[in-house]
Amino acid sequence: MKAELLQPALGRESLEEIATVALDFGRLLMETGASARNVEEITGQVAAGLGAERVDTRVGYASLAITLGIRPDWITCMRKVGPLGVNQRLYHALRATAAEIERGGFTAAKARAEVDRLVRASPRHPGWVVLAVGVACAAFGQLLDVDWAGVGPIFVAAALGQIVRHQLASHKINVFLSTTVVAFLASTLCGLGARWAGSQAVARDMTGPVLLLVPGVPAFNAQFDILEGRPTLGSARAVWVAVNLVFITVGVWLARGLLGEGR
Amino acid sequence: MDLPLLLHHTVCGGLAAAGLGVLFNVGFRALSWCAASGALMLAVRTVALGFGWSMEAASFVAALAGGVVVQLLPSPIGVSRNALHILGCIPMLPGGFAAKAILGLFAITAQHPVATNETIITAVDNTLRVMFTVGALGIGLAIPTLVLRVRGMK
Repeated sequence: MKAELLQPALGRESLEEIATVALDFGRLLMETGASARNVEEITGQVAAGLGAERVDTRVGYASLAITLGIRPDWITCMRKVGPLGVNQRLYHALRATAAEIERGGFTAAKARAEVDRLVRASPRHPGWVVLAVGVACAAFGQLLDVDWAGVGPIFVAAALGQIVRHQLASHKINVFLSTTVVAFLASTLCGLGARWAGSQAVARDMTGPVLLLVPGVPAFNAQFDILEGRPTLGSARAVWVAVNLVFITVGVWLARGLLGEGR
Repeated sequence: MDLPLLLHHTVCGGLAAAGLGVLFNVGFRALSWCAASGALMLAVRTVALGFGWSMEAASFVAALAGGVVVQLLPSPIGVSRNALHILGCIPMLPGGFAAKAILGLFAITAQHPVATNETIITAVDNTLRVMFTVGALGIGLAIPTLVLRVRGMK
């Protein structure tokens, strides 16, 4: 992507400093679930606001590369991207800060300090996220036509699944392994609860609590990326989504096998 | 039109979208937008299904309607339009069909498969349904985004 210089920064920054800050923005945006278009736009805003005259960005699945120019010099830098997640509050804070930087008045050092502050100060998930996930999965279950006896077990199993998922993530367990473990535990627990509650569709109920694991954001980002001319990144996301679905299904399959459901 | 069913799906779509909004760390005030997005899309899909449309066509129309409304919302609303689209659509993802499709494929490869032809047809049917529905949702969301962004309504 190319961005014009909108307003000169306070001082002429070194290209390397500008590139580093812009890449930090890009990396964090990727990790908060932004689409490639947004990453390119916002990274370009930051670089232009800090004085870059030309900005070309390449957004990959696991890395970002940026080429900046302030005549007559050019620099190309690359940055590794961490695990992709979703964090709307941090995304918004980054977007607002990038707009401020674009308006001018920031140095690279000030922009870096601001990014660091945002990461530290950005609100984390509220404690009741567990309940919210339970409600969401119970509502999903209703959309899948589970009977009312299955709603309670889905709620409880999804909430506990979210707790386990959070714990596994905090121990940096491989995301696919974590997905299978959570799917298995939540599905088994739901199946046992649904039997106890007298549900007539236990096998279907067991699908409800794993819907929290369905990778919706990457699935749609994959399509958006392909439609917006980034087939490589879109394909990488699509493959990740497909593999994730397989691992979810393995968890449910193991749970069904254990409880003898769905044969 | 089955009004109780419409109300039921609308409420469930709103609850599912708002619940996932919390998981996506959307600000508390913006959760109502998430719920509205999910409720609107599920309501449109339920009405379309009520008219006898296929799941894929109903999902496409619902995503398109939701995409247009989200693009026309005032800015800022505390949640990105991209996220609002996705939150509205996630309750329409055919997760149940996806699970059935993959379980069906597992069943085909069992050592002593029962009624293989029937199992293959069911698995392929579910797989295609998942692919077409997800594709319909994605295209339904992308069209308003691409058209309205070109017209300066990002």
